Amino acid sequence: MVKTADKIEEEIRAIFSSDTPWVTIVWDDPVNLQTYVVYVFMELFGYSKARATELMMQVHNEGKAIVSTGSREEMEHDVARLHEYGLWATVQRGDQL
Amino acid sequence: MSSTEGFRRHGDHSYVAQFADSEKEVLLNLCQQIIELLAERTDHGNDDPLAAMVGITSHDSPPEDDVLHRLLPNAYADSVDASEFRRYTESTLRSKKQAHAIAMRIHLKASTDGTVDLDHDNANAWLGAINDIRLALGVRLKVENNSHEHLEILSPDDPLRGVYAVYTWLGWLQETLLSALIDDADEDEESQLGNS
Repeated sequence: MVKTADKIEEEIRAIFSSDTPWVTIVWDDPVNLQTYVVYVFMELFGYSKARATELMMQVHNEGKAIVSTGSREEMEHDVARLHEYGLWATVQRGDQL
Repeated sequence: MSSTEGFRRHGDHSYVAQFADSEKEVLLNLCQQIIELLAERTDHGNDDPLAAMVGITSHDSPPEDDVLHRLLPNAYADSVDASEFRRYTESTLRSKKQAHAIAMRIHLKASTDGTVDLDHDNANAWLGAINDIRLALGVRLKVENNSHEHLEILSPDDPLRGVYAVYTWLGWLQETLLSALIDDADEDEESQLGNS
């Protein structure tokens, strides 16, 4: 019992700990134009055209890419903005990839 | 169906296109459809008014309609997390998407000669609205795996043929606006580097 409670506490700590990185993942989508995806990455994250293109190609070739890393709240904010512009994105815990 | 030359940059951060009456009608109509589709999902009157005021909705499961599902996707792979996030954010997302389509409609309506002149923020609203329309049409056309083969061989009397023509035209239109915007962004980047 005690062990289980400890484990739960540990998990809760991990969730609230700022040390645990969360990530925003963008998934490949057959409709969104490549140029559009590049532009959205530049516009929302301030990435250079080269960096944004690299990420877009990773999404295209590997089916997904991590586009940002940070706290859970920050990643939820990023995903909401990506959804606003029609990209297919999800939030995930960085240690559960 | 293209008589417009698409968007081109006009002076500093200004993006201009001229549309024929028929093109304007098609765009207005598509915007209206997106606005109405999103409105179908609007929350019912029995919601807690305070919750509604701060954007909390009663929806905690994704829309059953495939198009709405694509426009309002889950934010988490885990269904419990996805529901929780949706309850607090979906109504804001719907409003933002509607705002993009409404902005596009207003610019088109305000134009008497078919010319629209967008600043950077308006251009972003147009990009978002055009993209939502393309996503919706893409779901209906079953666009998958970047393959358009089944769409290229549609028979002339297939109603999807016209839908596909609009879909490809919107892709082209979006591309012209993007290239004008990205050229600008490149120049900004270079001038910033030059200043540092």
